[in-house]
Amino acid sequence: MTPAEVDLSVELAGVRLRNPVLAASGTFGYGVEFEPFFDLRRLGGFVAKSLTLEPRHGNPPPRIAEVAAGMLNAISLENVGVDAFVREKLPRVPEGVPVVASVFGTEVELYAEVCKRLTGVPKVAALELNASCPHVKSGGIEFGQDPRVLASLVRAARAATSLPLLVKLSPNVTDVAEMARVCEGEGADGISLINAVQALDVDPETRRPVLWNGLGGLSGPAILPIALRMVWQCARAVKLPICGIGGIASAADAVKFLLVGASAVQVGTANYLNPLAAVEVVDGLAAYCARHGVPRVADLRGALEPPRT
Amino acid sequence: MTAPAAARVDARVLENASAGGASLRLRLEVGEGWPASEPGQFAMLSPGALPAAPRFDPLLPRPMAVFRREGAALEVLYKVTGRGTALLAAARPGERVRVVGPLGHGFPLPPPGARAVLVGGGTGIASLYDLAARAARRGPVAALLGARRAGELMAEDAFRALGIEVRIATDDGSAGRRGLATDLLADALAEGPAEVYACGPTPMMRAAAALAAAAGRRCLLSLENRMACGFGVCLGCAVPRAGEGYALVCREGPVFEAAALRADGLP
Repeated sequence: MTPAEVDLSVELAGVRLRNPVLAASGTFGYGVEFEPFFDLRRLGGFVAKSLTLEPRHGNPPPRIAEVAAGMLNAISLENVGVDAFVREKLPRVPEGVPVVASVFGTEVELYAEVCKRLTGVPKVAALELNASCPHVKSGGIEFGQDPRVLASLVRAARAATSLPLLVKLSPNVTDVAEMARVCEGEGADGISLINAVQALDVDPETRRPVLWNGLGGLSGPAILPIALRMVWQCARAVKLPICGIGGIASAADAVKFLLVGASAVQVGTANYLNPLAAVEVVDGLAAYCARHGVPRVADLRGALEPPRT
Repeated sequence: MTAPAAARVDARVLENASAGGASLRLRLEVGEGWPASEPGQFAMLSPGALPAAPRFDPLLPRPMAVFRREGAALEVLYKVTGRGTALLAAARPGERVRVVGPLGHGFPLPPPGARAVLVGGGTGIASLYDLAARAARRGPVAALLGARRAGELMAEDAFRALGIEVRIATDDGSAGRRGLATDLLADALAEGPAEVYACGPTPMMRAAAALAAAAGRRCLLSLENRMACGFGVCLGCAVPRAGEGYALVCREGPVFEAAALRADGLP
């Protein structure tokens, strides 16, 4: 079998993708930023920068910090707003590229309104709820950290859209499987995980947090084993398709997520270091399948062997 | 704003050696097909990050000004200031460095015949060389270069070889005039109209912008900032605009009209 003969197509939450590799929200802009580097149609799709109802400016600097095998960010969801996205950004995305729109808000009603405005818009193949926003009415706890708040969010979004609905789960919880079950119970079509891990870095010279915001989200290769564990836990808890995210920088990393039960993966921080990272994962997946005699990449899903005893 | 042409290549190291004093010169074989760069553009460099041997610490590539382009070779001038540049300094000829670029929007050239005054301090001098070379074909150019001491002055010979006027200032007076590059700027502005271009430490750029504004001259600043990507997606390199909101150094800059930014918000 040659890599070209491998069937890379997968289905994720009812959406047929030409391969299981998407680019993660917040690491791929609105897609057009990568056009100088490669044809976007080579990816399974991409998740656009999270959209709010109104445009947001984001946090003052410093917004990012480099840590061991990873980085922290506290951008605070700077984005052009949902209407400008539909009007100005989407038309520049080539035909044939499934766009997953990431939705964000500080209140349930704001999430629902953004979902509504994206429904029926050409090129938007699915929605992904970013549940890592602090919920104003709950005193700043993330939507994704409280099962009842998360349930109300998914319910409202489900009622607001007929599009396939993914929920991106926060890793900053004790029991991620419980959150996955909430999503399943409220009619989500799939889950994506993990979002960035809440973290802190301090400058010993100034004795201050490195980031203006203090806390930030840790992403990059450092979080891969945490993400893998959480995807594994969710895959055992729910039947929903899972999009695995967290530190993926190579095809071997992507294979790990598929083996523990993910249907597809998202490449995130690696896009910063190497704008071709996601397409290199696509090519590497085909090579892996050919080498292992796997005719369809979908056959890797959940194909994890038990630990040696 | 349209995205200028950019490419990712794993470039072979042709030369990586002392360029006098604390400065190092890295020559990379990016290939003839690497897109042409405007003066003041930059590239993201990842030493040692290759498919066969991924390296994740330090994770992020480092933005470096394009010093000059010669055929298939890209030249970068730098000093070892941290982990990223230490790793860069260890790259031997024949090894590969991942290069993403050219990136950002560079310096607009001065109007034909207009006098250009370039103010460079520290490693910021490297960002100005290509501008000096191109502006010299259009009109008079003065390069005002500053460093702490003579041994730390970057690329003086290269600027002199352009046949332009070069004035030097060092903090300790070991080369040129004792003082700051911006002291030289005050004199140069008193001599007549000029377009002012500056790249260097933040206090130097702030002072250059203030002097140019007081003289009623246009001033362009080339900013350095930490960034993860270099092409507008990590949003990590934001600086506050003079009005509301933020501008990305990587995409809208690194060159800005001084008046477009908040002077107290320079990185």
